[in-house]
Amino acid sequence: MLRITNLEKSYTSKKVLNGLDLNIKKGEILGFVGGNGAGKTTTLNVITGIVDYQKGKVEINGLSKEAGIEYKKQFFFIPDTINVFKNVSGYDWICFLMNLYGEKDQKRFDQYIEKFDMQEALKKPMGTYSYGMLRKVLLIAAFVISPPIIIMDEPLNGLDPNAVLVFKELIKHYAELGGTVFFSTHLLDIAEKVCSTVAILKEGKIILHDDIQNILGEESLESIFMEAQVYERKASIN
Amino acid sequence: MNNFTVMLKKEFVQMVREYKIIWLPLVFLFLGMTQPIISYHLPSILEALGGSEGIIIDPSMAAQSGGEVLATTLASQFDQLGLIIIIVSLMGIVQSDKSNGMLAFILTRPVKVGSYIGGKLVSNYLFIALSVAIGYVASYFYVQFLFTSIPLADLLTALIFYLVWVLFIVGFTTMISTIFNGQGIIALISIVFLIFCRMIVGLSPIIDSINPASMSHYAMEVLIIGSINKGVIFSGLASILLTIFTLSITNHWITKKKFSNEQ
Repeated sequence: MLRITNLEKSYTSKKVLNGLDLNIKKGEILGFVGGNGAGKTTTLNVITGIVDYQKGKVEINGLSKEAGIEYKKQFFFIPDTINVFKNVSGYDWICFLMNLYGEKDQKRFDQYIEKFDMQEALKKPMGTYSYGMLRKVLLIAAFVISPPIIIMDEPLNGLDPNAVLVFKELIKHYAELGGTVFFSTHLLDIAEKVCSTVAILKEGKIILHDDIQNILGEESLESIFMEAQVYERKASIN
Repeated sequence: MNNFTVMLKKEFVQMVREYKIIWLPLVFLFLGMTQPIISYHLPSILEALGGSEGIIIDPSMAAQSGGEVLATTLASQFDQLGLIIIIVSLMGIVQSDKSNGMLAFILTRPVKVGSYIGGKLVSNYLFIALSVAIGYVASYFYVQFLFTSIPLADLLTALIFYLVWVLFIVGFTTMISTIFNGQGIIALISIVFLIFCRMIVGLSPIIDSINPASMSHYAMEVLIIGSINKGVIFSGLASILLTIFTLSITNHWITKKKFSNEQ
């Protein structure tokens, strides 16, 4: 599904991704975990084509970004910072996104509006929305468009408890139907409950990537994350 | 519906929501009406302002023809205040999308850079051309009423020539809006360069042949003399090629810079 091989990305003075390898299978819900500055957002920006990279290979369903539109059709990206046209209603914005992906399923659109309880809000201009509501708009768009993989940067930021529950339920359902979900998060308890696999990123490299059952055992993801960080630090000192 | 059409539709919706669809035609309507009215009442205004000292209005002064007044509308109103207003309305065309992350958001969807730029350019050009045409026609009606009439063929020919110049204005400002990040600098560069282009018209036939602003001059000639200058074909082609060139730079810049303020 999504295959990243030996990815390297540097900004002017700093190497952010340092030979990153990642392979995500169809139907996987991958939680991408890492400390601040580990390179999570950069990885997502490289996959989505927002920034270029110096070395390596990124493929989704065998397509690299050179495939252009066909590559972009493979994913729907929800960034951390959401900017919208303030005078446009949420409804019009989702319709605009659906048109870009050639999606016309109005029935499914209505179903997701109801699930996220956005019937009234979607009629209003997006300038009046809270951050959480903007996230819901993009989540609705993502689930309606239903691409092979949904990529999200910190998707749970700003969501109310009810929306978090809906989100968890929907991504599980989405994966059961064969969709793939890849999201970065710092909420380890959520990742533990929702994800089928977890990848821990440190200093631009994946230090752990496995099924959540294999990782967890007796411990919580939080303590495993801390252990992995410490282990890597010791290894780098030695 | 292909993605160019989707982007085009989005731009029109945005223009409606931002009330641009109202204020821009109104501004050009006002500019178009102003010139013939001022020209018509100028002797009375001067006479009234002269006071006891008096200003002598030469009675043998030739009355302006309708074509001359309409040509002055293009030169004095549209090519000065009108030009600045067009630039101000366009200065954020790409810059605002770039600064608020919308460019990155849209271009991570299945949209080609060309469709994005095309949608912006076509929608804005059509709308600005319509606004200019509204002001021009309003000016024409006043001219018909207050001065002499203008042949319809001359009227339309001059408008077409003028709109080629407007096309270059839109293309150039879009390019500057893509390259630079501050709206002030975008407005400054665009205004200075485009007014400079307009000012140097007539200085040299060679420069005129590649200067898109000479299309405005040729439009005026049609209205005043009633004949088409031979240089219009070359200038017209040069203007279109230069507009394509500005769009290529815009396209290249967005593609190369990866539509974000990368460190």
